[in-house]
Amino acid sequence: MIISRFFNIGSGSTWPGHIALTLNKNFIKDILKTNDQRLKTILVAGTNGKTTTGKLIKTILAKGGYKVFQNESGANLLNGISSTLIHQCNVVGEIDNDFGIFEVDENTLPLILKEISSPDFVIILNLFRDQLDRYGEVNVIAEKWGNAIVSLASLTTLILNADDPQIASLGMHLKGVKLKFFGLNDKSLATFKNQHAVDSTYCSNCGAKLIYSEIYFSHLGVWECPKCDNTRPKLDISASPIYPLLGIYNRYNTIAAVSLSRQLNIEENNVVAGLKNFKPAFGRQEILNINGKKIQIFLSKNPTSFNESLRTIAGLKAKNVLFVLNDSIPDGRDVSWIWDVDFEDYIDKFKNIIVSGDRAYDIALRIKYTTKNSNIKSQNYNSKLKIYEELKEAIDESLKLTSKNEALYILPTYSAMLETRKILTGKKIL
Amino acid sequence: MNYTLYAKRYTLTIGWLYPELMSTYGDRGNVICLEKRCEWRGISVDIKQLNLGFHSKQLAMCNLLFMGGAQDTQQKIVSLDFSKDKIKALKDMVEGGIPGLYICGAYQFLGKYYKEADGTIVKGLDILDLYTESLGNSYKRLIGNIIIKVPHHVILGSEATPESPSLKVMRDSGRVLLRQDSGSLARLTSTLVGFENHGGRTYLGKDIKALGKVIKGFGNNGEDKTEGATYKNSFGSYLHGPILPKNPHFADMLIKLALEKKYQSPINLSPLNDSLEDKARDTIAKTLNIKI
Repeated sequence: MIISRFFNIGSGSTWPGHIALTLNKNFIKDILKTNDQRLKTILVAGTNGKTTTGKLIKTILAKGGYKVFQNESGANLLNGISSTLIHQCNVVGEIDNDFGIFEVDENTLPLILKEISSPDFVIILNLFRDQLDRYGEVNVIAEKWGNAIVSLASLTTLILNADDPQIASLGMHLKGVKLKFFGLNDKSLATFKNQHAVDSTYCSNCGAKLIYSEIYFSHLGVWECPKCDNTRPKLDISASPIYPLLGIYNRYNTIAAVSLSRQLNIEENNVVAGLKNFKPAFGRQEILNINGKKIQIFLSKNPTSFNESLRTIAGLKAKNVLFVLNDSIPDGRDVSWIWDVDFEDYIDKFKNIIVSGDRAYDIALRIKYTTKNSNIKSQNYNSKLKIYEELKEAIDESLKLTSKNEALYILPTYSAMLETRKILTGKKIL
Repeated sequence: MNYTLYAKRYTLTIGWLYPELMSTYGDRGNVICLEKRCEWRGISVDIKQLNLGFHSKQLAMCNLLFMGGAQDTQQKIVSLDFSKDKIKALKDMVEGGIPGLYICGAYQFLGKYYKEADGTIVKGLDILDLYTESLGNSYKRLIGNIIIKVPHHVILGSEATPESPSLKVMRDSGRVLLRQDSGSLARLTSTLVGFENHGGRTYLGKDIKALGKVIKGFGNNGEDKTEGATYKNSFGSYLHGPILPKNPHFADMLIKLALEKKYQSPINLSPLNDSLEDKARDTIAKTLNIKI
């Protein structure tokens, strides 16, 4: 540990953690034990919203006067978590913080619970299909999570999304652990349209198809099983005083963060001040201004997050959109999932559609197949669509097409988001 | 000028088996592709969504069938719903030459059985002569981009020759290859590209042929270089991508087969502009260092 700290590696790197775990496989356990008098741990899991929720909590707790650190979003595997701890501690292993927030990857939650056996809080946000080549199928993940949280005891408060049937069901047979449910109770936000990329609409108890009286998005909503007594649990919290970010998915993230703040008795004015102060995390609705034009980046990494980004920017009357699709390991090697995104509902609303990334032609093809025209002569792809293999060129051209009073909305996958930011903040534009 | 009027005569009913349960990895792209490629040619399409509890008579009304992959839980729900009369209806259609495409989980499901790692046998529909074995979680799933080559008659019909004008476009695009084998006859092959992701290893019986031969990737079992299966006008495959938008010649073949079966006369589909499809295919071929 001391050796890796000595190298003074930036917190973004995960290899100090790798070295620490190789030298001492109990590294995480040991360092938390050293600090257990003061440091409280918060784990945030879920397919979408981990980084934003973690950052919301961090901002509120900081307003409440606490010292807080959070692992970086790319560092959500065991190595990354160890690296974050190394970065935070001094040479004798002391961490000068009140709270450590760890967002954990789908596959890492069961592993981290072996290292941090009694975290103070575990928040589970949702479970959607994502990178099936890497994480496997959602039912399998839910089962692993279920097995991993069984051992949690009364030292832990488990905060679950009641509107996600698979997540709510995780809490069903738990004993000992303190359980809090969050969700939405707002008919005005409900949609009755079924999105295609929907998982887990079947009862985890008896297998019957669940009935929804309200759907907020994907499979999240007010649900009940028509056959057995499985139903959405009673909510402990269903609203936040304010919502700093757009989109229904961010309402969930915000309510989850507020729920945790309530457990810690953070004063309401600090909660509100924290939320008002909130600056989005990298690429999560982050706004950049380039040459007087507004650019907003909406990380869109799986069908549900892509659908919700589209719905949110359509609500903003977006005219210019740039989709950037990569297929490197953090994005998932398989890009088939773009066919589960409901592009059909939004494409007509946009004026300029630009595509780029390693798999630019795949997303172009997806958009071509939204063409409604049945005239054989004009079945060529959509005239609004422009394809640039080079991301820099795509961004330059997108900005040219965006008029001064308009905004450019960029929807990238994870690695594409990092590349986009690098180009935009590296001021290599135009 | 009469073309549009002429084409409007044609209608196709596409049966989509369990769209809510058997659809992962963008499988619905295949249905979208079939639908659009018909519409763009003036062929009316009716997509019948065959969900839990559908009647076997609804199946028999379809001219073309599609079924995608599923997660284990969903697949079990489907197994329970697949009653004897539904199995018989589907078997009759497959035997009667109604074209169908069955991807991943559906492909396994049409076989004789799926043997789990602990030896448990999960019975399949026993329509195709094949079986699948799972080696368990300690064995690697077969995951990655894949390219297979398919004998030309499978996709282009036995009457196609290297000189057929309709083949010229496909040859130029790399979707069809012309191979000169050691001084003998020129032979045509088509390539299919996609992405595979499966734990099960599928083995073909003697009454069924492979859809193609693996050029790059794993295929049915990672051992014998076969990929997918073809029996009469039914096709099984592990290829996602999804397979049809990536391989429009395969999509057109299914449409052509369905129309010819329904109207009992030869059909020539008008060509479409597939330049984007070809670029998307090229991207994968380049990644894999394969020339197609």
